[in-house]
Amino acid sequence: MIAQLIEGPLWYFSLTVFVLGVLWRLFMILRAGAKKDLAVPRDGGGAGALRAIFSRFVPERTVRRHGKVQLIAGYMFHLGLFALLFLARPHVDFFAERITGIGWWSMPHWAFIVAAEVAFAGLIMLWLYRLLNPVTRLLSSADDYVGTVLVFLVMLSGCLALAQSVEALRLIHLLLAELLLIYFPFSSLMHAFTFAFSRGYTGATMGRKGIRA
Amino acid sequence: MARMKFYCDAERCIECNGCVTACKNENDVPWGVNRRRVVTIKDGEAGERSLSVACMHCSDAPCAAVCPVNCFYTTDDGLVLHDKDICIGCGYCFYACPFGAPQFPEDGAFASRGKMDKCTFCAGGPEEDNSAEERRKYGSNRLAEGKLPLCAEMCATKALLAGDASVISDIYRKRVVNRGASVLDWGVSYENASLRSSKGVQGKATMEE
Amino acid sequence: MLINHRRVLQFPALLFLILIAFPVFAENAPSSYKPVTVPNPATDLWRAVNPQQLPPAEAAMFPGGDSQVQGVQSGVLINQLGQRWRHFRMGQLLPTGSYLLAGAMLAILLFYLIRGKVLIRDGESDKKIERYSIYERLIHWFMAIVFLFLGFSGLILLFGRSLLLPWMGPELFSALASAAKEGHNLFGPLFLLALVLVFLKFVIRNIYQKGDLTWLLKGGGIIGKQDVPSNFFNMGEKTLFWLLIIVGGLIAISGVVLLFPVFGQGRDIMELSHVVHGIAAVVMLSVIIGHIYIGTIGMQGATEGMTSGYCDLNWAKDHHSWWAQRCIDEGKVMPKQQGAAVHHDNPAPAEAEK
Repeated sequence: MIAQLIEGPLWYFSLTVFVLGVLWRLFMILRAGAKKDLAVPRDGGGAGALRAIFSRFVPERTVRRHGKVQLIAGYMFHLGLFALLFLARPHVDFFAERITGIGWWSMPHWAFIVAAEVAFAGLIMLWLYRLLNPVTRLLSSADDYVGTVLVFLVMLSGCLALAQSVEALRLIHLLLAELLLIYFPFSSLMHAFTFAFSRGYTGATMGRKGIRA
Repeated sequence: MARMKFYCDAERCIECNGCVTACKNENDVPWGVNRRRVVTIKDGEAGERSLSVACMHCSDAPCAAVCPVNCFYTTDDGLVLHDKDICIGCGYCFYACPFGAPQFPEDGAFASRGKMDKCTFCAGGPEEDNSAEERRKYGSNRLAEGKLPLCAEMCATKALLAGDASVISDIYRKRVVNRGASVLDWGVSYENASLRSSKGVQGKATMEE
Repeated sequence: MLINHRRVLQFPALLFLILIAFPVFAENAPSSYKPVTVPNPATDLWRAVNPQQLPPAEAAMFPGGDSQVQGVQSGVLINQLGQRWRHFRMGQLLPTGSYLLAGAMLAILLFYLIRGKVLIRDGESDKKIERYSIYERLIHWFMAIVFLFLGFSGLILLFGRSLLLPWMGPELFSALASAAKEGHNLFGPLFLLALVLVFLKFVIRNIYQKGDLTWLLKGGGIIGKQDVPSNFFNMGEKTLFWLLIIVGGLIAISGVVLLFPVFGQGRDIMELSHVVHGIAAVVMLSVIIGHIYIGTIGMQGATEGMTSGYCDLNWAKDHHSWWAQRCIDEGKVMPKQQGAAVHHDNPAPAEAEK
């Protein structure tokens, strides 16, 4: 009963909430608009936006020096998570079956394990850093912790279901992933999409002013 | 109740690996898993002998003793079988088994262990006899059809014996008696008589009916 | 009839065996039987099948067999170590491990009842010293999380069959054990990572120094009431560190051997690794139970150093007086209300991180 619910209706519901929620959030952000810049542009805003979106992947010097843990753990977590999400065999099969209809290249099992290790190490360290550093602790809201815990639980349940033989464990993983999908659009997890907007906006503003930074 | 046993007669086994092939074919055993293997001792030397070995269905099975999830069970026929739905693939049975019977399908470079697979004496698993599910997980269930394991049935020299322990031991005892009599009668040892030639062997077992 | 037939058949077989076994006896047998001077070659066969039962010198003469089936040790017909490993796990590790863990908890309970909580002698002061940086706390808690996860999942695999299976039922327990096994395997390498990070960060402060022996002889100042000076880490903490590095290292290395059966290691190596893994893990768990106790409910002011990064000045004087004195000399002592004071003077709380 519960299994069918998780497998079917809840999955479609969460996917719908996710897609519509993300689109709605992005639409609202775009609709909010930007105040017209009346100054004479010195350079193109588009180039500046593009430059900022990509150049910010390499953080600024002071961050590189003083935020090593966050930087390394952050990259470990995000790269590991993306590899897991899109290139793990069970996920590729799931996407192919449920969404895209076609599969794509998936990692060999050992790379899957390595990606999981890397992602776990990164996530736990980031989480601890958030708790231990008084600044990040002050800056963190309940939303940050809910997001972190949900992602952690999804990853943990996925790793516990690694044997791919116990149906109950797979369903727990799927259920948690569905909860994450529902939570996603209304939380700071939206940074997965909005980072391009914030960076692009800053980059465009600076680009128009002729600043290359 | 019958107690099923394998026995491999080292004086008859010719290392043809027919039993291995028969087992693989009958049970659709996945690549890399060998429920049965033939081991040759002193390969290429005097006194070379071969033995076919698989799960020996021990009375006090070490695999069952160490299994952390207790997935083994002993059937009324004395067979040690396991439930793949319960097995977690930890590999402890593989450490404990003296015969190297438990096998694990290996996956990828880190070889994480899948569900254990081993000889079932062609008796399937806990599922309903000869169901598709049983076939998929454990292979054939010949015992339910009143047949014996295919490895033994296919053995060309009848070296590998399978069946009720008392019958097997009777057959083997007869063989020992024949050989023993022939050796003693002719004053030869196995070594200088090139044992496998049956030429001139007299003194069939005494008191054959 | 059948019984008769068997008995008749058995007689020559028995005679045969007797004659083989006792050549002297054979001399007296009827003259048509010649004495058998060459022993039954079957004995050679069975020696080769099971060479481990022989003395090592003889075992070398029987190097096992060959098999067409490719695989590690596929030529070994009988691996006697398997049975020994079974007896180790079922007859020694399980009971001894449970006694050890239960004993450790009991000892701590007794210690708590007799000694009680170790209080700061002069009570909490209004001054504090920075004890651990963010990075140091980060790797400590990283290791703690990974260790606890590995500990619990390992205990499920070790004791689950006797403790959990009876009331959980096979299906539910199998799901739990499968999760524990996969999680244990996945988190294992993270423990190795944590071990390396902790080693690199803390090793210098954990080298034994003068005064450590005195600390040990005086029982760490915990049993008595006298003052036992020590540096940043005292003798007990240093010993915990080296236990962690050595025993934890053994756990990690043996775990890797068990986890990745791709280096061509045979069953004997894996059995040995499991023995090491089991003993080391149970020992480490018992030690860590003590560490958790003394770091939390067992001692006033001990937890703060690892959570906030600062420890109370009086706590430092009690347990690490040399270090406390050095901090006082170097002017590293600060008031506890510093954060608020800074905030009062300067609206931007910028200095909180370092």
